[in-house]
Amino acid sequence: MDRKKYKQLRAIVTLFIGVIVALAVVRNSYLLAMTGISTGMIFMVLMRSKAKIRTDERESTIQEKAARMTYAIFAPTIGIAAFLLLLPAKGGIDVFSKGEWLFTESLGMVFAYLTLFLIAIYAISYHFFNRKYGGDGNEE
Amino acid sequence: MPSPIIFSIENMEVTAMKSKLKVFRAMHNLTQEQLADKIGVSRQTVIAIESDKYLPSLGLAFKMARLFKVKVEDIFTHNGKENEE
Repeated sequence: MDRKKYKQLRAIVTLFIGVIVALAVVRNSYLLAMTGISTGMIFMVLMRSKAKIRTDERESTIQEKAARMTYAIFAPTIGIAAFLLLLPAKGGIDVFSKGEWLFTESLGMVFAYLTLFLIAIYAISYHFFNRKYGGDGNEE
Repeated sequence: MPSPIIFSIENMEVTAMKSKLKVFRAMHNLTQEQLADKIGVSRQTVIAIESDKYLPSLGLAFKMARLFKVKVEDIFTHNGKENEE
């Protein structure tokens, strides 16, 4: 199986998963959605191993840059959003602490924890890759 | 006074390097697809290297050099701007 055929099959499988998930949403069935997604995932893994798809180094570079940019945009955005959502509640502005505005504090807390989680994952993975690529500085 | 325009090191490297891959590929009568298959990358990567938009890894550069039975520096040449401050 060549790369082109693999890409075509991948598009078909993605379409299939999309249809199954849409059906599951319409029928309100979690089981159908889970079955569709897991079947699709298994099929993708099997196809990838059969096609012997190599990871192209240019694609890896693009993925790295895209991931870096995503982090650089997403982390400050969600951090600032958390700060802005928490500010009225913590600042003693009563309007935002009750009634229909009550959700802002909860949402702010969720965003704040998400930001911390994101930074923690980044720090852990940075530490791991730094060690993997010889950045521990123990060798002479 | 340094220029206020900031370039990334990677981009500077890409512009400083010139590839003769197209010439060597033509000399060996290989299509981009065939070369890509031989060195284990996609055709897009070969196109990007030939148009100096992507700088290959050292491993890939050696692979190409071995395929064409030449030295790496025969395929890739540096503009010699590394001494400039």
